[in-house]
Parts: sequence; structure tokens; C-alpha cells
Amino acid sequence: MTKWRVMTVDDSAAILTIIAAYLEDSEFEVVASERDGAMAVERFAAERPDIVLLDLIMPGQSGVETLERILAIDPDAFVVIVSSLGTEDAVHECLTTGARSFLQKPFTRDSFIEFMRDLTQVA
Amino acid sequence: MGSMFFGQYLLSKGVITREALLEAIERQRQTNLSLVELAVRRGHIDSDQAEMILASYRTTEADLEDLFFDIGGLNPEKVDELRRVQRSDWVKIGAALISAGHLTRDEVEENLAVFQEEQREADQQLEADFRACKDPKTMKSVVELAIFHLKRFTDRPIKLQALSVGGGELGPGLRRYAQKLQGDRVLYVALDLPAEISSLVAQRFVGFAVDDGSEVQIDAVCECVNIIGGHACTQLEARGFKLRPEPPFSTIGNEPVDEASSSVRASVIAGDASADVRVFV
Repeated sequence: MTKWRVMTVDDSAAILTIIAAYLEDSEFEVVASERDGAMAVERFAAERPDIVLLDLIMPGQSGVETLERILAIDPDAFVVIVSSLGTEDAVHECLTTGARSFLQKPFTRDSFIEFMRDLTQVA
Repeated sequence: MGSMFFGQYLLSKGVITREALLEAIERQRQTNLSLVELAVRRGHIDSDQAEMILASYRTTEADLEDLFFDIGGLNPEKVDELRRVQRSDWVKIGAALISAGHLTRDEVEENLAVFQEEQREADQQLEADFRACKDPKTMKSVVELAIFHLKRFTDRPIKLQALSVGGGELGPGLRRYAQKLQGDRVLYVALDLPAEISSLVAQRFVGFAVDDGSEVQIDAVCECVNIIGGHACTQLEARGFKLRPEPPFSTIGNEPVDEASSSVRASVIAGDASADVRVFV
């Protein structure tokens, strides 16, 4: 079975570790993990993952800026924002910029896998 | 006297020793079962379901009742029945001290009456202290949100003990995990935690033991603060504030004291450790 290729972007190593653990032995494979928005853009260009899980609040280049740059490389990129911030403004900004979905932290393994499987119905 | 648990009150008054309190707490731990443990013991759920319920309870805002139903298939009546059993079997700290031979029933009752009266006064004082804060509604909601998440991240009973306004210097032996929330106004939410609580939070968060002071530990606790800060922004949006969190940070210095005029310090007790929740305004 071909796995969905996932790239995770979060300044938190703990979150990257958790997501990698949650996706282990699933139909998803983490092909790249970055803790910095600018690096993530370069890595996206090289890896072209099926799904990008992108944190919103990061030092340096923000999640929205990173999203814009990824979409400039590939307007069809499937980018999902994963953030603890769930304000209407933040969700609206991300979705209008081009994010396909929004997941608020924290989440459990089951809810996360379910969310990812739902994504594959539209990705 | 600040708000505290009865065992700590007895200790602070010199009625019992620290060893006696620890022994009584150990007796409670052996006897008193959580609802999840009780449900396993009675065969309503298996250990895998118990782990899933606990993991969800720690990391989401779901009600325990909903998790029992969604994961274990237990209806609300069954959960109520478990609660009744739990209440009837529950050994309070006073009873544990009596059974361990550290206090007589009369001593417990006499001290409990004084304790309860002092607690009423302490709770009133806390309410008054919140009202005296600049923007008390915001302070109270952020502090309560932080305590709510700390309880989930540690699985410990956590109680707000005292509230004070001050300069915000970090206490000895603590590490600060903080996040700036910026927009219509600027405030910082911070957890000043001892190593013991930092380790516990990080371990529960990532799911495995981490070294004290390690990058993963610091990062995991920062992420917990990030969750508190993000949810605070979401909650305050309902009250008309537009705030966005900046990346959380950790320090053993006094930041953000230089930038902030003052802080509200909410001292909390978590089992036999203590920590501070601070809101800088």
C-alpha cells in the first residue's frame, strides 16, 4: 500500500515527536519534519509531500507566511494548520490564505488519526 | 491562611509530621480508586480502554462521562453508580491518619472544624483578591484555565492557594515557561514550575519519561503553555479581545519582568509540590 507522505512543521520538538508516534504503523509516513518556517518551504520544494501539517505560531517566519510561500511553489499544496489558537480570526485568516483545514491542539492519537483519515477523503 | 488541603493544614499547624502525612497519602493511594480504575476493577472496561480514556482526558477538554460513553460504552447511569461506589469507599485524609495511628477521631474532628472555617475565609479572600486585580475577569479566567490544564497534564489534585500582585521575579529552584499574548492589549501567561512538576507534565505530554532539564522536557512544557495561551486567546475572543499568542519560551531568569508592569501570582499546590501560575499585565 502506498502511504500518504506527510511533512510536519512545528517549532516544538515535542509536538513533532508526538505526531510521528501517532502516525507510526498507519497509512501515513512522515517524510520530513521541520522546526522553522523558512526551512520548511525549502523542504517542501524538495519533498513535495501529499499533506503538510503546519504550526501557526512559530518564531521567525510565521505559519501564515510559510503557508503563502508553500502555495507560491505549488498552489495545489494540501496544507493543514495545527495550532493551539482557535480564534475565529486565526481560522478565517488561515483558510482564506489557502489552508485546507484547521486542527486545534491538543488532540489524542485517535482523534488525530481520524482527522487525518478524513483529510484523505478530500486530499 | 491560604486555601489548602486538610493534610497540608495539619502539617502547617504542627499537628502531624511530614512522614505521617506521606504515610496517610500512601494509604489513600492504595485504597482510593479513580473512576477509571474502579471501572476496570468492576469489569466495565478493559485496561486498553482505560488507557485511551485517560489519554483523552489529559489531552482534550472532553468530559469524563463522554469519554466513558464514547470509548467504554458506559451510559451515564453506570457512571453515576461508579461515582456512588467511589464516594462510599473513599478514605479521606483524616480517616487515613486515624487508621495509621497518627491522630484520634476527636483530634481530626476538632482540627477539621477550625480548618473548614479558615478555608471559608481563605476562599472569600481569594475572591476579594481577584476582584482587586486589574481586569479581574481576565485574570480569573486565565488563571482558572491554566489550573484546569495543569490538572490534566499532571493528573494531580491542584488547588489555588493564594493570589498576590508583585514584580514577578522567579522563585528559587523554579523554571518559567511563558507566552506573550498580544493584540488589543499585551499580557503574558506563565507557569513557574519546580523540576518535579515539569518532569510530570512533560512525561504525560509526550508519553514517555524525559530527562530533567532536557530539550524535550522544556519543549513539552512550553507546548503545554502554548495550549493554555492559545485557549486563553480563544476564550477571551468571546469577551471582545483580539489577541494572538507568540511562541512560548522558557527561562530561569525573570523575563518578562522588564517589559511588564506587574504580575498576578496564583500559587497552586499540586500534591506535595507547589508552583505558580502568573499573569503579567
